[in-house]
Amino acid sequence: MRSLVVIRRRLGMVIVVATVTSIGVGYAASLGLSSNQLYAWSQPLTKGTCNQTSTTADDTYVQQANPTSTAGGTATTLTIDRTAGSQSYAFIRFNLSGCNLPTTAGADTAALTVNVTSKGNDTISLFPVTSNWSSSTLNWNGVSGLTIGSTATGTFSGNSTGAKTVTVTADVDTAIKAGALWGWELRATSGNATVVIGAAENGTAANRPSMTLSYEK
Amino acid sequence: MKQLTRILGAALTAAVLSVGVASAASLGISTGKLGAGSASVTGCTSSSLTATRNVDNNGDVTQVNVTGVPQACAGQTLGVTLENSSQTSLGASSTVVGTCAGGCTVSLTGFGTVSAANLTAYAFSLTQ
Repeated sequence: MRSLVVIRRRLGMVIVVATVTSIGVGYAASLGLSSNQLYAWSQPLTKGTCNQTSTTADDTYVQQANPTSTAGGTATTLTIDRTAGSQSYAFIRFNLSGCNLPTTAGADTAALTVNVTSKGNDTISLFPVTSNWSSSTLNWNGVSGLTIGSTATGTFSGNSTGAKTVTVTADVDTAIKAGALWGWELRATSGNATVVIGAAENGTAANRPSMTLSYEK
Repeated sequence: MKQLTRILGAALTAAVLSVGVASAASLGISTGKLGAGSASVTGCTSSSLTATRNVDNNGDVTQVNVTGVPQACAGQTLGVTLENSSQTSLGASSTVVGTCAGGCTVSLTGFGTVSAANLTAYAFSLTQ
């Protein structure tokens, strides 16, 4: 008889615990309904890197004094000069097709590095190019047909030799979404000296342009 | 003995009810739908939303664009939370879905300063 009382008490406790749990879970579930949350979904992202070297680079420079010349396309160095009558602009781009990035992807960080091989007291500015060009055909006369941003993405000083790195994250992000990266025009925006940077064809690998790229997709 | 049978019956009933409610709640979580089954509440989409984001030159998120939002969701509030690898919120924003033909692309801003490099997932919600 005494054991029956103990069993009844224990069962009573089980009922109380089960009821309280049931009410608690039911209340939690009802909160979702009361806020009318109809849809919840998560989209995970994949991160990666796709650094660019001279093998995917295309570059050239155009000369005001030789407006039809395409010699810059095979040159081992790129000349940048702001001197009136003999201006030179450099162009650099990278082919990102090997990264296999869909247009829904984006750049987390991107940085372009060029190497100044002959210094000059100029500030070099990078302007984004958003239309097609090729180093084998681009010349001074062809520059006016390109779509080039009017706001510089970044600058570097040509007053010393060596590596110069410019953050280009926004431009590369936009380019990934557009499906192609047409790179940058490098133009002196102050000074009248001549600055020379290494081209993708440069015999010294360290002098060639490169770009780091971290992305999500 | 009859009393014992009644007690056991009550305990069994309570246990079954508890399991049933708990199961319903867990189903809602596992399917990502927190509230469903009410006649007055109907979902406007059963497909997966996807998003892209724009960044500034510092790599910070400036805008999130959610694509494929059905027209049926017009008038509902779309919420987007940017999450890191620990599923912690880095920033959140919401807006009311407007009317549009076909699938809408809804753009949201105002996430604060969130580095895209830390962003590993978008979490979406639609509420009435």
